[in-house]
Amino acid sequence: MSIRKRNHVTISGSGPSTMVFAHGFGCDQNTWRLLAPAYEGRYRTVLFDHVGSGASDLSAYDKTKYDSLEGYATDVIELVEDIATGPVVFVGHSVSAMIGLLANVRRPELFAAQVMIGPSPCYIDDGDYVGGFVRKDIESLLETLEGNYLGWASNMAPAIMGAPEKPELAIELTNSFCRTDPAIAKQFARVTFLSDVRAEVPKLQAPTLVLQCTDDIIAPLAVGEYLRRALPRANLALIENVGHCPHLSSPSASADAMDTFLREERL
Amino acid sequence: MFEMAACGLLRTLDNGVIVRVNPTFCAWVGRSAEALVGRRRFQDLLTMGGRIFHQTHWAPLLRMQGTLAEVKLDLLHEEGASIPMVLNARRHEADGVVVHDIAAFVARDRDTYEKELVLARKRLELAVAEAERLQEESKDRAHFAEQMIGIVSHDLRNPLAAIAMGAGLLADGDLSEEQRGAVERISRSTSRATRLIVDLLDFTQARLGQGLRVSAEPTDVHAAVFHALEELAVVFPARKTTHVRIGSGPARADAQRLAQLVGNLVTNAFAYGAQDGVVTVTSSVGSDLVALAVHNDGPPISETVQRTMFRPMERGTTDSHHPRSVGLGLFIVREIARAHGGSAEVTSTASGGTTFSVVFPRR
Repeated sequence: MSIRKRNHVTISGSGPSTMVFAHGFGCDQNTWRLLAPAYEGRYRTVLFDHVGSGASDLSAYDKTKYDSLEGYATDVIELVEDIATGPVVFVGHSVSAMIGLLANVRRPELFAAQVMIGPSPCYIDDGDYVGGFVRKDIESLLETLEGNYLGWASNMAPAIMGAPEKPELAIELTNSFCRTDPAIAKQFARVTFLSDVRAEVPKLQAPTLVLQCTDDIIAPLAVGEYLRRALPRANLALIENVGHCPHLSSPSASADAMDTFLREERL
Repeated sequence: MFEMAACGLLRTLDNGVIVRVNPTFCAWVGRSAEALVGRRRFQDLLTMGGRIFHQTHWAPLLRMQGTLAEVKLDLLHEEGASIPMVLNARRHEADGVVVHDIAAFVARDRDTYEKELVLARKRLELAVAEAERLQEESKDRAHFAEQMIGIVSHDLRNPLAAIAMGAGLLADGDLSEEQRGAVERISRSTSRATRLIVDLLDFTQARLGQGLRVSAEPTDVHAAVFHALEELAVVFPARKTTHVRIGSGPARADAQRLAQLVGNLVTNAFAYGAQDGVVTVTSSVGSDLVALAVHNDGPPISETVQRTMFRPMERGTTDSHHPRSVGLGLFIVREIARAHGGSAEVTSTASGGTTFSVVFPRR
């Protein structure tokens, strides 16, 4: 099967190098709608959906392969090999920041830099390490997901009240979000929030930007600080933002921090 | 309307800070408006799982779509209990400020019901997985049993052939009456054991494989029956049979299988029929059909037994002293009849005795 179809790859923009955007748990490539266009003038921008999310090919979902972040990292490596000739700038949100890290550690020659938005190498507290959650919280999340199992299609659909300003956007989103299989969502949640890639963090040799929000329960400040210390080539940028999606709620502040980083790294 | 609404209503800023809330919502979560407005964010009222969901689903979707419908989250009551609520939300600008308007409905009954549904679904998934596992296991077991039967039967044939040959040699010698009787019993028992093995192999094949194998070719049915009776006469010298032939000409059939069929029916007749009676075997070749019938006098077979006797493992009697195989004989008879495109049946009355008949097309 073609990787482009499997991961619903969308390529736009033009430029000497390629920037790959990877969405986090709960979303799909639509999450980049406000940030990616800022780079289309300077880069070839590549958006994709992880297998199991958005408009990816659900028949490619393999419960064994995607039972760890390594399965997703393998896909990222295949995708980068397929779409780019030189090393890429990889922009990963949330769990995808760690997927990018794993791919980069395995195949350093494919990556020029990593931009991590709201990353966390381990969500669960462990001794002195503060991840922000205990195991019980993750079970509570799985319950919440289960609670929205029955209404899955409808709560993702704006049809009832409508999205008057942007009806075409609404339809597109509804279509792609509705394709998310609740069983897959649950497994992805478990894989995401029970992952622990701290041992890999010191191995990342690419220059890295950590975009840390000031108020984010998913990736608290302590985690950003941990990464700044543990990553060999870390730049930490703090964004004044409530929530876990600065690329949606503060797209220009996010782009500014990225631009500074890219300029310093001459990318 | 806002104050008196029959649902919980609240308005928050883009960062979630509550700016307005109605008494219904306050009562549901056990908190005063003063304790909420300006002091609490909507997400602070959620369970931990709900807060994560709020970050990973609610917030990005609301920003992208502008609205959300029928999201179910647990809200925390002041006293710690959690209250399942169904929530709708709309993000829009009011007086130049982005706000979120949220409508909430307590959904305890729905929550209970849905939890039951989810549980039932889980149980169903487990049951299906278990059933699939069991099915796999039984397939394995069946395959194993088939192989075992094949191996054991094959290995038993050689010693039985040796016994039969030995008994045959002994019978030619100079024997006392008592010795001759013993040798005949050896022959009969060996023959029965051999037949049982053949039946077992056929049974396994018919049940687990692709059905019973027959190789039909132009056959003289009368001759096939005659040879079968000849062989039986050697093993059962004390029993009498008559062979009635009707019609003539070849029919498409498997001669070996017909002999096996007649053998099974006649040994049954010997075992269950009147001990001093004559067993009549009729073979008729008509223009379209071939019929074989085996008749014996004696007590009739009850209707209950008649209904099930062609199934495997069914015995005609519960008397364990009867010389009888494990109950495969009639099943094999039916399978041979079917393999010839025909059928087998039985009629049994006190006055008329018992007749097993097999009819199949002549072709």
